Amino acid sequence: MTIHQRLALSGGLPVVVQERPGPSLLAARLVLRGGSSADPRHQRGAHQLLAGLMTRGCGSLDAEALADCVEGRGASLRAEASEDALMVGLHCAAEDADVLLPLLLEMVRRPRLEADQVELERQLNLQTLRRQREDPFQLAHDALRTLLYGDGPYGHDPLGVEEELADLTGPDLRSLVTGLGTEGAVLVLCGTVPPDLQALLEAPLSHSPWTTALPPSLGSENSQPPSALCGNIELQEQDTEQLVLMLGTPTLPLGHPDGPALRLLQTHLGSGMSARLFQVMREERGLAYDVGVHMPARSGAAPFVMHLSSSADRAEEATHCLLDEWSRLLEEPLSAAEMELAQAKFRGQDAMGRQTCSQIADRLSLVLSHGLPENHVERTLERASRLTPDDLQQAAGRWLGHPSLSLVGPAEGLDPAESVWDDHPLNQGIPQD
Amino acid sequence: MSETRGSSAPLLSGLGDPQRQRLANGVELVSLPLPEAPLVCIDFWCQAGSSFERQQEHGLAHFLEHMVFKGSDALAAGEFDRRVEALGGMTNAATGFDDVHFHVLIPPDAAAEALDLLLDLVLRPRLEAEAFAMERQVVLEELAQSEDQPEEVALQRLLAEACPGHPYSLPILGDRESLLRHDPETMAAFHQRLYRPGGCVLSLAGAIADGQLATRAALGPLGSLTNGDPTETTQPPALQVVPGEQRLALPRLEAARLLMAWAQPPAGNLEALIGSDLATTVLSEGRRSRLVDRLREDLRLVESIDLDLHAMQGGSLALLEAVCEPDDLEAVRQAITEVWQEVMAAPIGKEEWERAQRLVANSYRFSLESSAGVAGLIGSNQLWQRENRLASPLEMLQRWTPETLQQQVLIGFDPALATVLEAVPA
Repeated sequence: MTIHQRLALSGGLPVVVQERPGPSLLAARLVLRGGSSADPRHQRGAHQLLAGLMTRGCGSLDAEALADCVEGRGASLRAEASEDALMVGLHCAAEDADVLLPLLLEMVRRPRLEADQVELERQLNLQTLRRQREDPFQLAHDALRTLLYGDGPYGHDPLGVEEELADLTGPDLRSLVTGLGTEGAVLVLCGTVPPDLQALLEAPLSHSPWTTALPPSLGSENSQPPSALCGNIELQEQDTEQLVLMLGTPTLPLGHPDGPALRLLQTHLGSGMSARLFQVMREERGLAYDVGVHMPARSGAAPFVMHLSSSADRAEEATHCLLDEWSRLLEEPLSAAEMELAQAKFRGQDAMGRQTCSQIADRLSLVLSHGLPENHVERTLERASRLTPDDLQQAAGRWLGHPSLSLVGPAEGLDPAESVWDDHPLNQGIPQD
Repeated sequence: MSETRGSSAPLLSGLGDPQRQRLANGVELVSLPLPEAPLVCIDFWCQAGSSFERQQEHGLAHFLEHMVFKGSDALAAGEFDRRVEALGGMTNAATGFDDVHFHVLIPPDAAAEALDLLLDLVLRPRLEAEAFAMERQVVLEELAQSEDQPEEVALQRLLAEACPGHPYSLPILGDRESLLRHDPETMAAFHQRLYRPGGCVLSLAGAIADGQLATRAALGPLGSLTNGDPTETTQPPALQVVPGEQRLALPRLEAARLLMAWAQPPAGNLEALIGSDLATTVLSEGRRSRLVDRLREDLRLVESIDLDLHAMQGGSLALLEAVCEPDDLEAVRQAITEVWQEVMAAPIGKEEWERAQRLVANSYRFSLESSAGVAGLIGSNQLWQRENRLASPLEMLQRWTPETLQQQVLIGFDPALATVLEAVPA
């Protein structure tokens, strides 16, 4: 039903194509390794600012002409930096692909970075950073990030740090453009693809050659648990009704052998309404509406985070319950029924994530940009099916021993939550070797 | 613009029209086979949104949506989710002003089992007292979580000012006082009254070509449903927006918000609503739209400006939100008025017109890529007896002209006709 096609452009950019029947549209993702974690010193926010500017003019098109070209065809084009990569994404009707697809390469190779547009985009990013503080979840998330990563590569929002972002200039971004693709890049297409693809994509490279290659393997299989594992707590007082709780720790990169075990734990705890946290905290105790587990795919130590928000007057019970659930991962294996359910849900999620061209392009480009083989997802599913509850408990012991806690809410919620944390065995354990 | 008029094939390739079926008791089924889709979507729709709550029932429609998942005659609490998810499926539900729907995404070979489970769950809820008390806590937490987002608070206030006395002015989640008063008996009566033949539709999309699912649905609790009064018609009252201005100081707000609401045609008037879609696209979709281009790119007064169309049975709403500095609110309002005056002064040119048409058409086409998108669209259309041929919106889109859009639709975006709310940091 699906056909994979691979080609390499002059200079080395790999193009991976997945043809897909159905509505005639195309989703494209050009992913370059090196995102906000590669922001230069004192220039935090540079990659996201550069990504935004790629949509504000490239090659012979200024900001207005580029927007006219894309919107005039009813298409969407966006560029953004995540922690590990810079991504340019296109979604358009198949018949417009021959005009729009070459723009992805123009944006990366020849962004115009006009001073006036730099100023506008920088101002918008600064405003967004400030507005995000309205959201108590964002405040808790930001504080947890600092607890887990400090000043490290994952220690800031890809949007940046206000003081440093405010000083960024066009020349700062220009020097980043030179290095784009040196850590590897890949273009993934899904849907109905133009027939003369190679010629179409070679054209923009002819006047702006680009030497790059498929991102190499990161050697993630050898990475060890981060050394700074002591559990810490951060409290932020806000005049809210609820207390937001986020409990997390840095763990492992995509491709690590313990990855499938942590994914199964995440699925067990947080996936769907049958999930353990949902059942225990919401269905049995009515403590929260929203409760879950966050574990993004990362090239480095991805955070593993349990989160919920609960009324301040139930802060003590909510904190206790959250810490107990984390401890449970370390202290007892999943039952056979829990294990079976987690494995079934893990397989189910895979189908959920393959329903649209955009989803397929997202998944494939994520795997390839981490230097992992195309069949990484199938291999992960296969490995997950062979794991036992003991395997999961051991993996939890290796990676989840000493979480940190971030709390946001009113004083009457923070105080009891802090007391629970101080007395809880999870915070008393001796760090393991 | 009109070269493809009258032939639907080039407008929407690869999709047929939905098949309809009416059971003996009046329940309607609608389905569309999508042989290549990896998952089947089973979507149960019911005319039981918050608009149909009576006095004393505020918040009940949404609370009932929660309670449905607490078990049925045949299913213990949590059993539904566990069984559907063990089959590789995922379930969810949403309550709106007009309707509520419950849907399951499931691999084709498990669709029959999931269908039985869903219909039992939705049509025969247990509404047990202990589970009721527990779930009320969850809904109260949901309410608290929403009230901790200042943007949400501002939006609720805008709706309250825009259509006082209309059900759309009240929060779907309800309020604390009402939620604390509700009991399982009131909820059972609400379910008995509204989850009824004539008021609900089962929608199916995905690899379902053999028709087995529809046959199976007819034999189960859906086919024997006798709730309510089958002749009762459920329509929310007609919406009217009251022009006016309010200012609200909100704690924890970092930037000011300008919110505006305009009345738009009811969802049942599809052709008029497509005009509204075109108008909001001209005004605020993309960087080259009138409002974004002027206020964000040129004058640089706003971090963002959005104008979204919310299609509803009693009358739709176009809601504008601009994020700016408190000191710039006056300049932002002035600029919006100027943009409107300009769009009324001369008809839209060819290039801008084609841009708007393509953005609307592609957004519609792209929304039909997944089985959930298709099931949701054909289900809600069937529920409200709307035009349900999939190519219709694209044909109607082509019947609009720059002149008719200006005279019939854009004229309605006069800022003097809007409810305006300025929210500023306290």
